[in-house]
Amino acid sequence: MITINNLVKRFGEKVAVNIDHYTIQSGDMLGLVGNNGAGKTTLFRLALDLLKADEGNVMIDDIDVSKNENWKEVTGAFIDDGFLIEYLTPEEYFTFIGKICGITKDEVSERLTRFERLMHNEIMGQKKLIRDFSAGNKQKIGIIGAMLNRPQVLILDEPFNFLDPTSQSVIKHELKAYHEETNATILISSHNLTHTVDICPRIALLEDGHIIRDIQNNDGSAEKELEAYFNIEE
Amino acid sequence: MLLSVIRKNKSLEAKRNPAFDTNRFAKFMIYFMVAYWAAILLLLGVLLPPLFEEVSPAMEPYHIMNQGLIYILLADFLLRTMAQPAISNEVKPYLLLPIKKKKLISTFLLQHGISSYNFFWFFMFVPFAFITIIKFYGFGGMFLYLLGIWLLMVMNTYWFSLCKMLFNEHPLWILLPILFYLGLGAAEFLLKSHPISIFTMNFAEGYIQGNILTFILTIAAILLLFWINYVVQKKILYDEISKVKDTKIKHVSEYKFLDRYGLVGEYMRLELKLVLRNKTAKTQFFMGFFIMIAFSCALAFTDVYDGEAMQAFLFIYNFCILGLMTLGNTMSFEGNYIDGLMSRKESIYILLRAKYYIALLFLLIPFAVMMLPVTQDKVSILAPFAYMMLSGGFIFALLLQTAVYNSRTLPLNANITKGNRSTSKMQQLISAGAFGLPIMLDTLLALPFGRMAAYWIEFTIGLAFIITHRYWIKNIYKRLMKRKYKNMESFRATR
Repeated sequence: MITINNLVKRFGEKVAVNIDHYTIQSGDMLGLVGNNGAGKTTLFRLALDLLKADEGNVMIDDIDVSKNENWKEVTGAFIDDGFLIEYLTPEEYFTFIGKICGITKDEVSERLTRFERLMHNEIMGQKKLIRDFSAGNKQKIGIIGAMLNRPQVLILDEPFNFLDPTSQSVIKHELKAYHEETNATILISSHNLTHTVDICPRIALLEDGHIIRDIQNNDGSAEKELEAYFNIEE
Repeated sequence: MLLSVIRKNKSLEAKRNPAFDTNRFAKFMIYFMVAYWAAILLLLGVLLPPLFEEVSPAMEPYHIMNQGLIYILLADFLLRTMAQPAISNEVKPYLLLPIKKKKLISTFLLQHGISSYNFFWFFMFVPFAFITIIKFYGFGGMFLYLLGIWLLMVMNTYWFSLCKMLFNEHPLWILLPILFYLGLGAAEFLLKSHPISIFTMNFAEGYIQGNILTFILTIAAILLLFWINYVVQKKILYDEISKVKDTKIKHVSEYKFLDRYGLVGEYMRLELKLVLRNKTAKTQFFMGFFIMIAFSCALAFTDVYDGEAMQAFLFIYNFCILGLMTLGNTMSFEGNYIDGLMSRKESIYILLRAKYYIALLFLLIPFAVMMLPVTQDKVSILAPFAYMMLSGGFIFALLLQTAVYNSRTLPLNANITKGNRSTSKMQQLISAGAFGLPIMLDTLLALPFGRMAAYWIEFTIGLAFIITHRYWIKNIYKRLMKRKYKNMESFRATR
């Protein structure tokens, strides 16, 4: 379970995040949507203890993320290139993550097989360093890296960015399947409303750092509400 | 038009660089150093004429100065390695704008030519020319001489740009300036006629006398270098845009021997790959490595440094120079992927230990080399043990403290001298301390207790630090975690 308590983050005068109380139950799959500058990435960074909150806290499984590191053992995340060690090959990167998560090399190889469709023969065995891959393939490497230790909490910022339509679809199915298999708590931010509505049973709409709507998305029912908010006209 | 836009952007870039903007100490140091060197040059410009007259009364001071022009050009070349960025790094942001590449590259080259830096040596040459040339050739002669000197500096700019550009393409191009200057040195010192200094003396006199051919030759050399720079730059840009370079690596090193050391071994592997696969880290590492080898060779094969003080200096830095070059930047390269590291439990603690072990491992090289002077009875067998322990224990422990305060990301592959290089006040203090303290400690111990006792004390201090390394590294880790938010924000801002 993730609990947000009186969380405030300011950058100078601007209040980037201001959330009184919000709970994400274990096994929830939450989509975070909002315009640029709404505070999605800042909220993720606060949840991962990569930013200092001015007030309040984020708890993962009753652990205040800023006080104790144990939550890191059950969490996987990918926000941007700052998570990638770009001078490694993808194989080395996955082995490295496996090692620090206590997963053997063979187990890493076995776990990677489920991502074969996503990797599309373009990532493994290329003898290329991560920095020399396209933005889309870097995105895939980051997402796979985040999921490699089968985390109970998975946080992905804009996972559909830079990906071709096929890969977007594969990622969508992969996340859905992972959620069904593991009942993990998954947080995804995205500008792609269709994908978010397709896979997330719950959607939080963020505006100027506030969660202004908490939408239960049963069978895609949130789509109209979101379209109205974002003023998408046919 | 384009030139003025580029000049304005460059000035804004310097002013708004986050590493510079937020670091008043670095800003102050830069202005201070510029003023300091300007004052030194002014002083030299005033003091050298009477000195030259005294040394060689048969010649005019400007003759002697002109004989040494090649040394000034070499010094200028070396100074540029710290100040002048490669043009290729600067051109990139403009590539997608609707400007012809030909015009873009030429403008950047021109901007380097007319840079105010090319006038820096005037702090020395103006007073020097005022004192020595006016009395013979009037203000006209002085003006022409200064014009000639400026043209030589412009020529040096393009020579340096070319070398730097090629070096950025492949480190082996470093041999080009080395061989060039070695060739000049060989011609000057091996031939009795000293052709280089005689040539520069006569050539520069051509400036003073207004010899049109001298100016034409200098301008021709500038244009030739400008053209070569242009051609090479264009090729590099096209190669980069069309991704001609094969990004596949031929051999993926695994360092399997590190498997047995578990998680620390994994981070040691990461450290080795950081050093060997990234241009900036590699350059920094190999610079330290070569200096270490040079110190080792000087100790092992020459008698030049047989004096006790110089010997102690060389012995100590032989061991700690590589650590000084690498550990002083702990976390700066990691700033590029700090979010990934911070989202894993205690990864920084293990990373610090891995860095320390790698630095310790490399101490075995100077230790092995130092066995040579030991076998030749130049030095006690205790010396290599004492200095290795002192470096590995005390000095490295001091240097690793920078991990707490380093908060500016160093680019992994950009040129080492470009951007984001300034460091925090604390980092500068620690590095300076690590550089000065060992020799001070060695002297302070040797004076009252004698050389052998000093070795034993240094050995013991070092050993104590090595044995307790887990504790003080844990302490560094805890202090670093207390500052983590501040550091991470700065790492992101300077990425």
